[in-house]
Amino acid sequence: MAIAPQAAAPGPAAEADRKGRRDDGDAAKRTLSAFKASPATYAVLIVVSALLFVPFVLMVSISLASDQTSAENAFTIIPGEFEWSNFADVFTATGLPVGRFVLNSVLIATLSAVGQVLSSSLVGYAFARLRAPGKGVMFMIVLATMMIPAQITMIPQFLLFKELGWVNTYLPLIVPNFFSNAFNVFLVRQFVSRLPSELDEAAQVDGLGYFGVYRRIILPMMWPILTAIAIFTLTFAWGDFMGPLIYLNSEESMPLALGLQYMTSTSNAMQLPPWNLVMVGSIILTLPMIAIYYLGQKYLYEMNLQGGSAGVK
Amino acid sequence: MSNVVDEAPGAAREPRRAGRRRTRLSRRGRKEAFYFWLFISPWLIGFVGFLLGPMVASVYISLTEWDSFTPPQWVGLDNYTRALTEDPVFWKSLWNTFYYALISVPLGLIVGVWLANLLNKRVRGRKLFRTLIYLPTLVPLVATAMVFKMVLAPSGPLNDLLGLFGLDGPEWLLSATWIKPALIVLSVWGAGAATVLLLSAMNGIPRELYEAAEIDGAGAWRQFWSVTFPQITPIIFFNLIMGLIGAFQIFSQVYILAPNNNVGGPDNASQMMVTLLFQEAFSFYHFGYASAIAWLLFIVILVFTVIAFRTARKWVFYETEVR
Repeated sequence: MAIAPQAAAPGPAAEADRKGRRDDGDAAKRTLSAFKASPATYAVLIVVSALLFVPFVLMVSISLASDQTSAENAFTIIPGEFEWSNFADVFTATGLPVGRFVLNSVLIATLSAVGQVLSSSLVGYAFARLRAPGKGVMFMIVLATMMIPAQITMIPQFLLFKELGWVNTYLPLIVPNFFSNAFNVFLVRQFVSRLPSELDEAAQVDGLGYFGVYRRIILPMMWPILTAIAIFTLTFAWGDFMGPLIYLNSEESMPLALGLQYMTSTSNAMQLPPWNLVMVGSIILTLPMIAIYYLGQKYLYEMNLQGGSAGVK
Repeated sequence: MSNVVDEAPGAAREPRRAGRRRTRLSRRGRKEAFYFWLFISPWLIGFVGFLLGPMVASVYISLTEWDSFTPPQWVGLDNYTRALTEDPVFWKSLWNTFYYALISVPLGLIVGVWLANLLNKRVRGRKLFRTLIYLPTLVPLVATAMVFKMVLAPSGPLNDLLGLFGLDGPEWLLSATWIKPALIVLSVWGAGAATVLLLSAMNGIPRELYEAAEIDGAGAWRQFWSVTFPQITPIIFFNLIMGLIGAFQIFSQVYILAPNNNVGGPDNASQMMVTLLFQEAFSFYHFGYASAIAWLLFIVILVFTVIAFRTARKWVFYETEVR
């Protein structure tokens, strides 16, 4: 197989790795020799990673295309034009309140994350530290509920929220987050169980109540897991499509993920959507996710190690 | 509600078992128990109000015919028999969902393992490759779907490209043959997430194992199957389960890629269980039938999860056997 020579020659490549960028000329030579040693490995890596990366590049390229290019569908993979004005036009030229879309997304995602962090930290703390009859049964229920697919409860929840007059408001998307979810409770509980209990016992001796222990001792120690939970929730709420599709039907209340779809479907069947502006919208939808990932990478990595592994999307 | 039921037997049992010492602590114990129930009350209220209640309601609704405007009509198991025996669209959606899940999930995992294995060697520019592979997975699904919708448009870039080679590309998303493969290709864009996870698992494999294998004369292929693969099976298994559960619930991509106002796609070729459920519930107001589909979906997911766990004993390797 193609991989064989690679395993046999770890020496020089590893050394070059360590030296890094300090001597570029030397590094280039080493790269070349590493490439020669196992061309097939590199060829495969380059082709596959390029294939995986092309849609991303295409998104950027189209977002910078002029309206005419867009109308003619004459796109190039590598950006040929640089219509930066698209990034302003998207807010004005689509006939849709795109600024509002972004604001709605920010609002829904932030409040959802706040709700999850507050509720699951308290519930998870109780499951990790407090003793009570019936606790074991309750925790079994927490674990069991993780298996229920959301579709089961979707229709009755919709009818419930309709009854409450919450349709076409953000409430159905935000409020359930203030009641925590099983997975996050589980994560917090596992995290708190690993914290040494001497601290909160000492604090209790000093007269702190259960809420005081939570608020002053445990909560400040929980922030790695809470950061991870905030990131999970932000990512989910920001990209969620089905929830807004069910509950929000006025343009003014749509988040960006739904608004983008709306942008492509408003034009009639013969007309092409303004692809360049749609791609600008897609980039606006993407950038915060990349930023959040890079800022929170460390915590997510820790969570992966602790939780065994995280899921695929 | 359920807390009262669950608490009562426990509370009654405990003092009897612990005897006197327990009764002396009981005021403190009772206070602690009170705070426990107080603190978990957000979850408990959410569980009863948003999960248990709706689940019970869902069972009931699935046994009725109901448009939510007129009172529900009790029809017994009719919705289920209709789905399983009369409705060709249901079977089509079931087949489509299986087709999608059973190809896209293994395919994504194979690509993920393959890439991770390549990157696990001492490769130059490893960080760059990792970023190129992982970055697309950070793009929200809706944005990815938008790119695909554009690329696969009848006169879109892909067909232009094929045109350069004198090929006449199909109308991908308007063609009953090609829409499912298009959805599968889209799903492989998530392979980067599995790659990065698998790569970090591979990093944890002790080097001595490879050295020992090499001394024994094992080539790269043999090293992969005898050393690497057994060590990453728990991660593969986890991704398989989560991937299958997610794939059975596919919705957003289909909704976005399907031609305007036609959720099922051409000739229902991309009609999935959840899109059908969505359509029945929110387009046609067949809440009873849609609820029945939801429970059938649940059963499908359950069956596949159980099968996966059953076979896991044969191929998933836990070093410590503790987890």
